[in-house]
Amino acid sequence: MKLTRRSFIQFSAATACLLAAGCSTTVMRPVSAAMIPRRANGSSAPKGEWIGSTCQGCTQWCAVQIFVQNGRAVRVRGNPLSKTNHGYCCPRGHLITQQVYDPDRVKVPMKRTNPVKGRGVDPKFVPISWDEAMDTVAEKMMELRRANEGHKFMYMRGRYSSTSTELLYGTLPKIFGTGNYFSHSALCAEAEKMGPGLTQGFFGYRDYDLAHTNCLVVWGLDPLASNRMVPNTIHYFHEIMARGTIIAIDPRLSNAAAKAQEWLPLKPGTDGALAGAIAHVLLTEGMWNKEFVGDFKSFWGGFKAGKTVGEDEFEEKETHGLIKWWNLELKDRTPEWAEKETLIPAEQIVRVARAMGKAAPKTIVWMGPGAAMTPRGTYAAMAVHALNGILGSIDVEGGVWQSSSVPIAKFPKPDKYVDEVAKTASKGKKLDGRGAKDMPAMMGGKPGSGVVTNNVANGLLKDPGAIKVFMSSWSNFNFSATGADRWDRAMAKVPFFVHMVTNASEMTQFADIVLPATFNSAEGWSVITNMGNGHGYASLQQGAVKRLWDVKQEETEVMWLLAEKLKQKGFANLFDYYSKEFKDPETGKHPTNALEFSIIAAKMSSSSLWMPKEPVKGDAPLKGWDDYRARGMFSGPKYTLKKGWGGKFNTVSKKFEFYSETAKKGLLEHAKKYETSVDDIMAVSGYVARGDVAFVPHYEPPKRHGSEAEYPFTFIDYKSRLNREGRSANLTWYQEFKKVDPGDVSWDDVLKMNPADGAKLGLKTGDMVRVSSTTGSIVARLRLWEGVRPGTVTKCYGQGHWAYGRVASEDYGKKARGANNNEILVDDYDRLSGATARNGGFTGVRIQKVAV
Amino acid sequence: MRFGMVIDLQRCVGCGACAFACKAENTTRDRDAEDGQSFNWADFVMKTEGTFPNTKHWVMPVLCNHCSEAACVEVCPVKPNKAMYKTPEGITLHDPSLCIGCRECQTACPYSHEELDAASLSGETYSVISFNGRYKPLHPKWEDGTALIAGGTASGAETAKKAGVAVPAMNEYESKDVGPLRKKRIVEKCTFCAHRTLNGLQPACVEVCPSEARIFGDQDDPNSAISKVLAAKQSFVLKPEAGTRPNVFYVGKYSARS
Repeated sequence: MKLTRRSFIQFSAATACLLAAGCSTTVMRPVSAAMIPRRANGSSAPKGEWIGSTCQGCTQWCAVQIFVQNGRAVRVRGNPLSKTNHGYCCPRGHLITQQVYDPDRVKVPMKRTNPVKGRGVDPKFVPISWDEAMDTVAEKMMELRRANEGHKFMYMRGRYSSTSTELLYGTLPKIFGTGNYFSHSALCAEAEKMGPGLTQGFFGYRDYDLAHTNCLVVWGLDPLASNRMVPNTIHYFHEIMARGTIIAIDPRLSNAAAKAQEWLPLKPGTDGALAGAIAHVLLTEGMWNKEFVGDFKSFWGGFKAGKTVGEDEFEEKETHGLIKWWNLELKDRTPEWAEKETLIPAEQIVRVARAMGKAAPKTIVWMGPGAAMTPRGTYAAMAVHALNGILGSIDVEGGVWQSSSVPIAKFPKPDKYVDEVAKTASKGKKLDGRGAKDMPAMMGGKPGSGVVTNNVANGLLKDPGAIKVFMSSWSNFNFSATGADRWDRAMAKVPFFVHMVTNASEMTQFADIVLPATFNSAEGWSVITNMGNGHGYASLQQGAVKRLWDVKQEETEVMWLLAEKLKQKGFANLFDYYSKEFKDPETGKHPTNALEFSIIAAKMSSSSLWMPKEPVKGDAPLKGWDDYRARGMFSGPKYTLKKGWGGKFNTVSKKFEFYSETAKKGLLEHAKKYETSVDDIMAVSGYVARGDVAFVPHYEPPKRHGSEAEYPFTFIDYKSRLNREGRSANLTWYQEFKKVDPGDVSWDDVLKMNPADGAKLGLKTGDMVRVSSTTGSIVARLRLWEGVRPGTVTKCYGQGHWAYGRVASEDYGKKARGANNNEILVDDYDRLSGATARNGGFTGVRIQKVAV
Repeated sequence: MRFGMVIDLQRCVGCGACAFACKAENTTRDRDAEDGQSFNWADFVMKTEGTFPNTKHWVMPVLCNHCSEAACVEVCPVKPNKAMYKTPEGITLHDPSLCIGCRECQTACPYSHEELDAASLSGETYSVISFNGRYKPLHPKWEDGTALIAGGTASGAETAKKAGVAVPAMNEYESKDVGPLRKKRIVEKCTFCAHRTLNGLQPACVEVCPSEARIFGDQDDPNSAISKVLAAKQSFVLKPEAGTRPNVFYVGKYSARS
């Protein structure tokens, strides 16, 4: 590349402008004849139709509209009727047009012709008809039923529709008969739910009253970029900045941290210590919320560092166990102690705690996966979320809310189509190891109830004969799961794998049959429910865009075709269920083909909104299906405050539990199953807590794979604001604007290191480095950057696809563009939830320069 | 009538939505790295400053400033009517039918480079004017007929053919100035979405901004939102020393810590 003739627009110049005085806006005559205006030659505005749809680029599932010209997707915006995104989508939504027209999309079903499976082995796919594909799949499934081996069929779902999933995930395993069906969810979120779950009995994503809060603490997430409610957060962020305080707790300089008044770049994994210290300050300085928490009975009562308090001295209101928590954990958690653990100065901890306490109860502590998705994350999640309890922000104006929803009609029950063979086959032990002694996975407080997604690979490796037919949709665990190489090894051993996807990704390289999926945000039919900003909503996907390829919606259309084939082969139950129980709510007509089934399913699940028995609260009543289609969404009424107050929290004590009777009940039940103690369960599951500490939010020191001597740097992963769940690296717009992630470089995938560390190691920006952990190694370009703490290195998740498409891969099937963090992140878990560890600096790495 | 835009940096979160909406609305092509052309009519500059933990980071959306004393117009050698010209509304507009591809405008514009280098990939430099080469395909991605998996996956050319247009997501509209597709050997740049703003709509980047950081309107109308903001808040322009009198203004601070 040549140098330009003129100097670049230098930052010095740009910053000088920042300081420059305001410029004149008064009218001046042109000084040059060249500026004499001429009328434009004329144009007409673009013509087209905005059609309602739903973005599924992250887990918010925003109601959007697609601008359609002659059946083509042209542009995207938020649905103007949305009370959650205010009519705007985040940058992800705008990538929909790129994704739907990705030149590397799978356009027809394919079959494998190379029997050898392994990473880098060309499957030698050849195109086949849908008929041949479905016939092959059905035959493989029938072989299992004939041999009474239904349980050797496994289904794993990736991205799904909240309603249509019932027709695959919720139906196929039941009617066909297998207990081996797993959701992707524990890969990225479940530990987070344990925070509100074990304290207030709400095992879900919280909502936040950003419109009224005066202090927003974003803890272990970057809500301007990812997690959820991105457009809503963008909408309110500047207002909160102007009227209150924004505090960003993140070891990396995130977008929120760049803008916030306070940035606390704590040592990764020490969130529990920081939360404990903030709680300590709030209590010792008398800043707890009296209305929610209660007060000392005596005027003389108070919390003093290091001193226990008698349980009878304090009278709680909506909470349970504050004094136990103080005595067991908080009394010694001084800011000075926390400074040593977190590396955050004590005075900043005190300053931030005071800001939070002063704004309470209109203070939001928004806890995200950075704090929770660590090997001991349940307790950090509890510790961070419990601050909302002290601040009294639970369910109040300007505070932290539980979720909202709109009523959705349930599909008819499939029970009468479940035969004895299926019932027996469903009862086997699940391959994900949930409920094992060292894997309590107590989602909902019930041991053995949580999915342990990433452990399925270990199950497959341990018992290669366990699964003979594996079907999966919109998933790519060989890329998205930590310890990714385990999936490569496990998938190579699966005899028959069916992948339902838009692009032939890493996991697809192990497929025997590839079924091309609709890109549902533009081409599918379904009803998608979600919530945010105090409103639940149901947003439609209605085939807004003409399909260019022979693709089918995996949960409805493909299931219909499968049901037909199973029927031809003598097993009619699935087809009977779909064809007899499903009918158009308006006409009563049963589906006769795959697409009709898909549309009827969407009509049925939303019929509760557009042909309700009783009026539905929320938006103006829908006049019918056509009205719903025209609007594209329906929002419910605004959230009702103080839902859990007055002893209505869904915990064992019915209060907000600082001493979690809910955790205690679950852990005792789990210990009893193995005839042991809770201390033993803690020990085998890798937690340091013993005794009653196991039942309170507390600090567990970060677990680290790799010694500091051998692996001196701590690696942290983060999500791009352009990641459509790891599917956008093949889009040129993603690559071109990767720089919108702070510290990142377009058309690259840089590892960020503090310049002080770079100087020590003799490394400079642009060097290629090998990043090695106990699990594997990757090579990336280095960028020295002040946005990361010395001793810590960070790289974005989302690139490093060795297979996906020609932009994402340098050499498809062989060489990636960039590097996949999951090849160095270690396969580990927060075992109380079953969630995969991916944050909290649990992976130590070594950095070495490599010759280019 | 004098069109202008204000970008409120306190509202802006640097998300990129404006740039994507611009690319979609105007069907701009992908970067030509070899020739250093970005084809990003809307782009960003960004920088991380200071030393950890006192690190600051800021982002600034950039676009053609539609200068009142537009250097690009001044130097355009085409006669009698310049290819790059000012409209009565203040848009610096380009007439592709008159453009001779001399690139004098790119050279003269204080906000453009004839060729961008790697610094533009980390948000240090940018160009508001890009040049379509003489010999290269205009949309190489959509003219490429090769497939990843023969018979199994699509190709760019096949996708475009199936879609029935040169670029599958092309935004079709009629224009006698800059239209949805450019031709070889001409420059291209932001038109202030002339096909929209001269027909009563807002520019695409303004319409989609999730923080409503951009205000577009008539600076000559004292009651317009842009006039009110410019009257109320201190604003600045980029490179005032270049003397081009930009009509894109910035207000507010990106970071609360700066």
